[in-house]
Amino acid sequence: MAPSTTSQRGGLSSTALALIPIAIAINVALGQLVQSILKLPIYLDSIGTVLVGVLLGPLAGAITGLLANIIWGLTLAPSALPFAAVAAVIGLIAGYAGQYGATQTWWKMALFGVLTGIVAAAISAPIATYVFGGVTGAGTDVLVAMFQNLGASVLGASFAQGAVSDPLDKTITYLVVWAIISALPRRLLARFGNIQQR
Amino acid sequence: MHRTGLFIDRAGFLQRRNPLTKGTGVVLLVGATFLLPAPLTGIALLVGALLPLAFASAVGWRFLEILLKTLLPVLISLVLVQGLFFPSPDPTTVAVGPLLFRRAGLEFALNTGSRLLIVAGAPLLLFQTTHPGMLVQALTQSGMPRSVGYILLVALQLLPAISERAVGVAEAQRARGLETEGSVLQRIRGVVPLVSPLIVGALIEAEERAMAIESRAFNAPGPKTWIRDIPDPPVERIARMVLLGMLAALVVWRVVAAIG
Repeated sequence: MAPSTTSQRGGLSSTALALIPIAIAINVALGQLVQSILKLPIYLDSIGTVLVGVLLGPLAGAITGLLANIIWGLTLAPSALPFAAVAAVIGLIAGYAGQYGATQTWWKMALFGVLTGIVAAAISAPIATYVFGGVTGAGTDVLVAMFQNLGASVLGASFAQGAVSDPLDKTITYLVVWAIISALPRRLLARFGNIQQR
Repeated sequence: MHRTGLFIDRAGFLQRRNPLTKGTGVVLLVGATFLLPAPLTGIALLVGALLPLAFASAVGWRFLEILLKTLLPVLISLVLVQGLFFPSPDPTTVAVGPLLFRRAGLEFALNTGSRLLIVAGAPLLLFQTTHPGMLVQALTQSGMPRSVGYILLVALQLLPAISERAVGVAEAQRARGLETEGSVLQRIRGVVPLVSPLIVGALIEAEERAMAIESRAFNAPGPKTWIRDIPDPPVERIARMVLLGMLAALVVWRVVAAIG
């Protein structure tokens, strides 16, 4: 990880330790808020994860995703636990996006969003298939039924459903994070080591 | 104490056990549902193990309530999607009213649904009977990085406050004319004004927290002491060995069965 303004003895810096729990709480709070107030057909439950990844690097991003799903499991739905690995990979990719300097332009962020969505769909599909039988109890199950009716296997239909919903969700997540980061004062951003500055 | 998620403060059998022993039990139960081939393994383990344990720990009804609340939509969806659209060469169907279910699909749904009862139920019972602080302390004492425990506990404590703040931001932005109705594109545009005050606040708060962490020498090397003791008598350690032994036996049995 890039040097940070606070001390670090292996593992996470104090800045990471301070930011990650807030980001996790934001993940969960926003996931619920977006559903209840804007009523959008997307989850937007990984904004905090992508933010930490972009600002603090792949390791911090992966830890945020992993622990966020454990918190979901601890507080609301134990069925979120099997997907913790997916959330960790989302944070990991966001970390590389930050290192690569994707935050400089919106279209690079959008590309990383699409990429993250496809990878997330590919990792969630086997979990959804072998643990949940391909369904999640949400509206997207209609898509699974449709793809199976078209002749796909359970695994294939799970992946196809993810490949439709996830890139859209993750692209919006990345663009939201981009919009926020570009509006931040550089003094605030300078505290977080991962981002390539212009 | 802050609201601590699923935990219910009662006295009972599981509440007196060491968190590590309960965690090992969860691993064994979840492992068993994947290793044992019988379709009803999950239901049998729920009735034979989880429910008696839940009622012996005075959380039985709450356990059933939350388990059903989380799983019912999944189970209904499972029966409908897989019962009607399961890809299988077996054409046998079962008529239920006007619907023609596929036999293979219903079997698949029963299998998966029965396993889900344990995959969701076993961690649920652990979380309902274990204070998060105790769980984190036990895990940290047996080798989990201290930073991970810190993140989990702080996130749990912050959740109610951040949720409240998020609702406050939403109300403030609506008072300023934020569109929360209209076309999907319009509503997507509403995401940034909702999210950015939360994130900017978080980044500023993170700096203050980082300084607090620094000033308390959180990252200092060397052993730390704990204010509470988690009892771990020999009988608990033996119980963990037995549970792990059972899991190992299941794995060996499954591998032998697969080869033979």
